[in-house]
Amino acid sequence: MTSPNKQALQGLRILDLSQVAAGPYATMFLGFMGAEVIKVESLSRMDINRGKARPGPDDLRVYPNGEPGEHPWNTTAHHVHRNINKLSLTLDLSAERGKELFLELVKACDVLVENYRGSVMDRLGLGYDVVSKLNPRLIYLKISSQGATGPESNYGSLGSTLEQTAGLASITGYDDGLPLMTNLVYPDPVVGILSFGALMAALRRRLKTGTGCLVDLSQREVTTMLLGEAILDFSVTGRIAGTMTNRHRDMAPHGVYQCSGEDMWVSISVSSEDEWIALCLAIGQPVLTSDRRFGSMEARLNNQEALDAIISSWTETQDHYQVMHLLQSQGIAAASVVKGSEVIEDPHLESRGFWDVVEHPEAGTYKQVTTPWLLSKSQRGRSTPAPGLGEHNNLVLSGILGLTQSEIDTLEADGIIGDTPKE
Amino acid sequence: MTTTNDNILSDIRVLDLSQGVAGPFCSKLLAGLGAEVVKVEPPGTGDSSRSSRPFLGGSVTTENSALFSYINTSKKSVTLDPAIPLQAQAIKKLAQDCHILVESFPPGYLESLGMGYDHLIELNPNLIYVSVTPFGQTGPYSSYKGSDLVAQAAGALMYTIGLPDKEPLKVGGESALYTVGVSAFSATMMAVYVRDVQGFGQHVDISAMEVMTVSQIHSSIYAQFGRTPARRGTNLVQAKDGWVSPGLETGVQESTWLKVCELIGKPELVDDPKFTTQEARRANQQDLLDVIADWAGTKPKEEIYHTLQALRTITGYVATVEDLLVSQQFVAREFFQTLADPSIGDVVHPGAPFRIDGSSWQLHVAPILGEHNDEILCRRLGYSLDELSLTSDKGGA
Repeated sequence: MTSPNKQALQGLRILDLSQVAAGPYATMFLGFMGAEVIKVESLSRMDINRGKARPGPDDLRVYPNGEPGEHPWNTTAHHVHRNINKLSLTLDLSAERGKELFLELVKACDVLVENYRGSVMDRLGLGYDVVSKLNPRLIYLKISSQGATGPESNYGSLGSTLEQTAGLASITGYDDGLPLMTNLVYPDPVVGILSFGALMAALRRRLKTGTGCLVDLSQREVTTMLLGEAILDFSVTGRIAGTMTNRHRDMAPHGVYQCSGEDMWVSISVSSEDEWIALCLAIGQPVLTSDRRFGSMEARLNNQEALDAIISSWTETQDHYQVMHLLQSQGIAAASVVKGSEVIEDPHLESRGFWDVVEHPEAGTYKQVTTPWLLSKSQRGRSTPAPGLGEHNNLVLSGILGLTQSEIDTLEADGIIGDTPKE
Repeated sequence: MTTTNDNILSDIRVLDLSQGVAGPFCSKLLAGLGAEVVKVEPPGTGDSSRSSRPFLGGSVTTENSALFSYINTSKKSVTLDPAIPLQAQAIKKLAQDCHILVESFPPGYLESLGMGYDHLIELNPNLIYVSVTPFGQTGPYSSYKGSDLVAQAAGALMYTIGLPDKEPLKVGGESALYTVGVSAFSATMMAVYVRDVQGFGQHVDISAMEVMTVSQIHSSIYAQFGRTPARRGTNLVQAKDGWVSPGLETGVQESTWLKVCELIGKPELVDDPKFTTQEARRANQQDLLDVIADWAGTKPKEEIYHTLQALRTITGYVATVEDLLVSQQFVAREFFQTLADPSIGDVVHPGAPFRIDGSSWQLHVAPILGEHNDEILCRRLGYSLDELSLTSDKGGA
């Protein structure tokens, strides 16, 4: 009998130079599904997620209970949360020996992932032309702000600026027209999730052709993909999509409504007449079903302020979860607007095993986001804690590249590798 | 010349029973890689997104929703109702002969019709069966309904979006549902890879709530590390024709501030301790924004973006859809593609969301309702439309 429990990506080795959010999220998913991910950082340039070697009192990074601990670079929230399921190797890529070792690793890996500004890898002498010659089966996943080509290919960005330059901010905001960003770097997880699929496509191509390739992914283009219908509309009608708070073009009521407690809300979307009638009954106002202001979707779309006031006056005395369950039991789409502290306790996610409890040796025990999918046979592996800086230097250098202990000691003495950042 | 046969999924057939946004967006991406996607729609009305605003052109028909046109490119349309036994039989025949099935019905519905995962693998053992729903196939909320808004609420995404003195705000448009579709796509591609290598298909379960919980990226960890994430104000500055964010607070070299001071004609600020480091500029953000605003107010936003990016800042400008179509970067990369839609005329679409060497992206106009009934149901499966009780369903008001 064959075992169905072999992991989806078992046997794949990923060389991961990516930093911040989009790339690390992609490689986190790869790790969950069984790939071996080697995260490469240099002692003078760690992943920005690790923060500063010695954070000052004003440092804005988030540490467990505000305590950076003995090795602050191993305990920032962003590092702990985004770099699970990876091995940590330090390597100074500006030193010749560091570069040599990196290129040796290229030969032993299936995939290289990076998300530097457009030309950084070429400048380091590690561009696609170089690495693909050394390993023709290598898949090079280049995640960049603007794509590998074009006049802005060297521009820098953050999730928040991508939301602007890709147009997403122009359709996000209240009805006063002021564009807003998510403050959550929303494009980054989207890019991370899509990068995973792009990589699967490239792997399939390799199965067919026997050769690797460059995957060129522009974070800005991916983000613009999220407002496709507005682009089609503009190109035909000249209409420029704007902000509309939480309203929807085809549904009313559609919004969030204040509930009891401080800053508590419930979201409600009504998409049909049946749901509208169910809502009127659920809120104890059957008379509304014959109110002409609300007698059709068109009428409700035209009278949303009055409609929202009626619904709010009902929700404001109730618990947001209770409203959700009551309305859902009557066939109406609704959900409490939960915060971080609530979502980690949510019974539905709990019952589906969404969260992994991770015991991080320096940051403590916490609940970890896992994967945006469940596969019936290719199950995800258990989270392994985000690695300390350079934690797996020996494992990688001796286990994969076959270096001797004395060679490794020399690298450490020369500052090519290590486990403490250079300040 | 690249032919369709060179595409990554050119040997893959997809049966798409899903409706709305998320499932169809998944199959749009599969079609982009060259899969044949047969989209099954309710006879008469078609997919619900066909009646979704905005409409392209004056009248409202099943053929001119911008949303439908965008998310159903490169597919074939047949009209079948799984609740009508003979038509369900046709769906089963298609399921027997496909590699991937995508569906978005309430959990249990297809099982009740004998078309659940367990039923269909008896006909097609290596089938990849992809279910895309608001809350997933199991768990106490599995029968709950959803929407883009509800997913953003349930997944802890929107609580921290918006301004502190106002209600939580969702990311605009259908962004959450597109992201759910992206997750379904990526998971499906993994399942295809697993079938190639390990030889079996499986059931892929996508929950919109979970996709959003993955996308909230830091609210859950901050909450556990003792920081309460909150809605907060914006760092945008008004330019002559819109908004920019100066991008001087993160990832900027020290020498950049000097150049910025020269650029904006404020050399006296070079040594002002309020602004000399990134941390100081972040701590004194409002003062910084005021200084930049004095300079930016008379200049076009995109000019500011290019000028400041040239100094290696991380500047942004708020592009509208109008600005996107003329962006020199998008033009140079030919990101947007113009498709000639027989019922509308020229329509501009976003193109490939990633580019793989030696493989082209398929982008063809979305099908008219029932456009491929004859090709698929009659010529491929051998039915007559009469026998299936289908009238000709080719478009209409």
